Amino acid sequence: MASKPKIRELLDESACAHNKTKKAACNAPTPGATTGGCAFEGAQISLFPYADAAHLVHGPITCIGASWETRATKTSFEGRDMTQMGFTTGINTNDVVFGGTEKLRASIDYIMQNYSPQAIFVYSTCVTALIGDDIDQVCKQAQADYNIPMVPVHSPGFVGSKNLGSRLGGEAVLEHLVGTKEPEFTTPFDINLIGEYNVTGDMWQYSHLLEELGIRVLSTLSGDGRVGDIRTAHRAKLNVIVCAKSLISLTRKMEERYGIPSISLSFYGKRDTSNGILAIAEALGDADLIARTKQLIAREEAKLEEKLHPYKAVFNGKKAVLNTGGNKSWSIASALQDLGIEVVATAVKKATEADREKAREYLGEKGVLMMNPGAEQAKIIDETGAHLLLAGGRSLYTAIKKRISFADVNQEKKKSYGGYAGLLNLAEDLKNSLENPVFRNVARRAPWEK
Amino acid sequence: MGEVKNKPVKPLQVNPIKLSQPMGATLAFLGVDQCMPLMHGAMGCTSFTKVFLTRHFCEPIAIQTTAVTDVTAIFDGGDYSIVESVKNITKKVTPSLVGLHTTGLPETKGDDIRGVASKIEFPLVYVNTPDYEGGLESGWALTVKAMIEQLTKMTDCIDERKVVILPHVSLQPIEVEKIKDFIAKFGFEVLALPDLSTSLDGHLGEKQAAISSGGITVKEIKRLADARLVLTIGDSMLPCVKALQVKNPAIRHYHFSHLQGLDATDSLAAMLLTESGIDTPHPSIVRWRKRLQDAMLDSHFSLGQTRFLVAGEPDHLAGICQALHEAGGRIRIAISTVDSPQLKNITADLVLVGDMEDAEKMASEYDVLVSNFHAEAVAHRFHKGLMLRGYPNWEQVGNQLKNDVLYEGGAYFLVEAANIAEHCRAELAHA
Repeated sequence: MASKPKIRELLDESACAHNKTKKAACNAPTPGATTGGCAFEGAQISLFPYADAAHLVHGPITCIGASWETRATKTSFEGRDMTQMGFTTGINTNDVVFGGTEKLRASIDYIMQNYSPQAIFVYSTCVTALIGDDIDQVCKQAQADYNIPMVPVHSPGFVGSKNLGSRLGGEAVLEHLVGTKEPEFTTPFDINLIGEYNVTGDMWQYSHLLEELGIRVLSTLSGDGRVGDIRTAHRAKLNVIVCAKSLISLTRKMEERYGIPSISLSFYGKRDTSNGILAIAEALGDADLIARTKQLIAREEAKLEEKLHPYKAVFNGKKAVLNTGGNKSWSIASALQDLGIEVVATAVKKATEADREKAREYLGEKGVLMMNPGAEQAKIIDETGAHLLLAGGRSLYTAIKKRISFADVNQEKKKSYGGYAGLLNLAEDLKNSLENPVFRNVARRAPWEK
Repeated sequence: MGEVKNKPVKPLQVNPIKLSQPMGATLAFLGVDQCMPLMHGAMGCTSFTKVFLTRHFCEPIAIQTTAVTDVTAIFDGGDYSIVESVKNITKKVTPSLVGLHTTGLPETKGDDIRGVASKIEFPLVYVNTPDYEGGLESGWALTVKAMIEQLTKMTDCIDERKVVILPHVSLQPIEVEKIKDFIAKFGFEVLALPDLSTSLDGHLGEKQAAISSGGITVKEIKRLADARLVLTIGDSMLPCVKALQVKNPAIRHYHFSHLQGLDATDSLAAMLLTESGIDTPHPSIVRWRKRLQDAMLDSHFSLGQTRFLVAGEPDHLAGICQALHEAGGRIRIAISTVDSPQLKNITADLVLVGDMEDAEKMASEYDVLVSNFHAEAVAHRFHKGLMLRGYPNWEQVGNQLKNDVLYEGGAYFLVEAANIAEHCRAELAHA
């Protein structure tokens, strides 16, 4: 069981802002009053984007049967894209009673014969962890037999939240992959992108700009990722954490082991994208690179502004209420402001202290930080005359009743809102929302209602 | 009937179409008005189920989790987490029923949910649905059975006008409504258990989705046993009949394997004529039968030269295959999510329990796929026609309004299938 990460240690991550204010961090969900995914889902999110690896889920059918093909994590991998496949041992009663390791090994053999992946990630789940299937041993043996990495991921759902699961995924990568291979060459500007999953191609909205500047993405965890690349990650000069608090344990350990510093940033909206690219250049510390980066940012912002011009005419004077959670409470607000929309209120019920501070910073003194958005948002729409409500599907009826436009922020994204070009996608979608008469039309009373 | 392979030969599933028992249970509880489905397990099972159903129906979905953790997994037999869950749920909302269903985790450690349930004062139905057994159909059916056993009151009265239908899990909300309406046209009052036709039918309401809105009421379930007839639709529902007849042995039972196509609808109509004593059904039923006959003839030319692969839950497969076959569709392969006695009734050259990898490996043997959304990648790679049916369909809106049953739905179903087949052939000709 040597490879099992210490949950307690991961939860008490010293670099995590949550842990400064709370004693027991990010754990102990309340029975009957909990939403959100489990540790397995978190591990899946952080590792599945490796398209050249097979992801074998050792558990009953719920874990993967309900969840494969749910995330549009794009890849440029030319072989069979295994991010959009589901492999599961699909254990049955017999396996629960007699153990599932034989089936697991047979499944690994099957995958090797039929798909020849660069690695296999083996995920333990609630039931197989509880019955004590030794996935470490199976992986070790299979790795010796096939001579490719077989990575056990200890991610049973009951150990905690999605966030913890992402850490467990990161931990597995650190223990079994990072530092197991040398890159063909290195450059002074090699970086790792950590926590960028390339959902809807978000990463591709800015990766070409990094390339133009001579910044090489040595590896990613794990958007458009390759197993061969992450194995060389220890040679990077900088770890860039993209919009993900869950992987700071990984970057802290990489700093301790390999001396790689890290920075954390987001590529959502114009200002954040510019700040992000500049922060990378500054962290790499090359004066010429910084100068060139500033030029590139100026060029890209000018290009974007020109394209945004017609949208800004539509958005002029428009007010929005934002009801979402976590870092979205300010990152979407920031993007909306980049488009010239005034954000009159944002929900901070499900945000950390740091997120709340940031939200206040972006919204200014006049902006409302909603602690109880379900009850507050209708009133705020009335008071401010807001034109647009951005929220989850449950708030749709509020928008209809108030006869204003609605955009579903939780809807599974089909196109990218990241980087400079993504902001144009967001602008187009919001313009369509604002111009759509449907919200007023469905609010019409039926002929038989008085 | 062709060859039937009841057991998969592979050690694993690759690109599974199988769905789990607890998910079927959740769905069944969502067909009860003002119910709060409560899944007993780690939070992920609930989260996956919620997202899965939200995306299929484009509706907010009510569900809660007992959120079993590593600590409660070891020290708690469900007493703490279930009791605490009910307490926390009822702090915020007042459901008419809590629908407690288990997952693999508590079943592996052997939680006694019956014992826990007996200590809870709030209206609650419990059902054991480990996800390492059965599938979507059995989870749904076990829940229906549990609701009858635990809620329905004994009686020896019979209401001559009352008919209860027990629909299988794959029937979409509008299909349940169409079946109810069809039977009502023979002068009966019809109740469906569960009834998704008034809960997940996609109606605009003040949906906060804290609890389910619409469906059969708990009161109606309690009084179910004075029905004159109980109709099971789908073989998966057969185990529920006995539970109802225990409450009142005078209830008579009719079974329909499915209600797709001319033949199956004719048997339902024939039975209803006998039971109601009516000579000729409502004019719209007569008219729709003629339209279905015409649709069969209009589509037969295309369907007769089309080879199909159909994938899905056993009861759904039986209906789809029969409807296509009646108009000449060549059903080469039927892939079932799980084993079922229904498999031997399916009209196809080969019936097997399998996954989307099987569909991929046999890609040269069919032209059109009828399957859930997971078949899209196969259809795209191998240039096949695709008719999206079954859970999940995350690619299209309006799933709850898709009607394939009885004369009316049958007519729409066949013309859609024929149009897809023709479109696919035209694409291939251009390529």
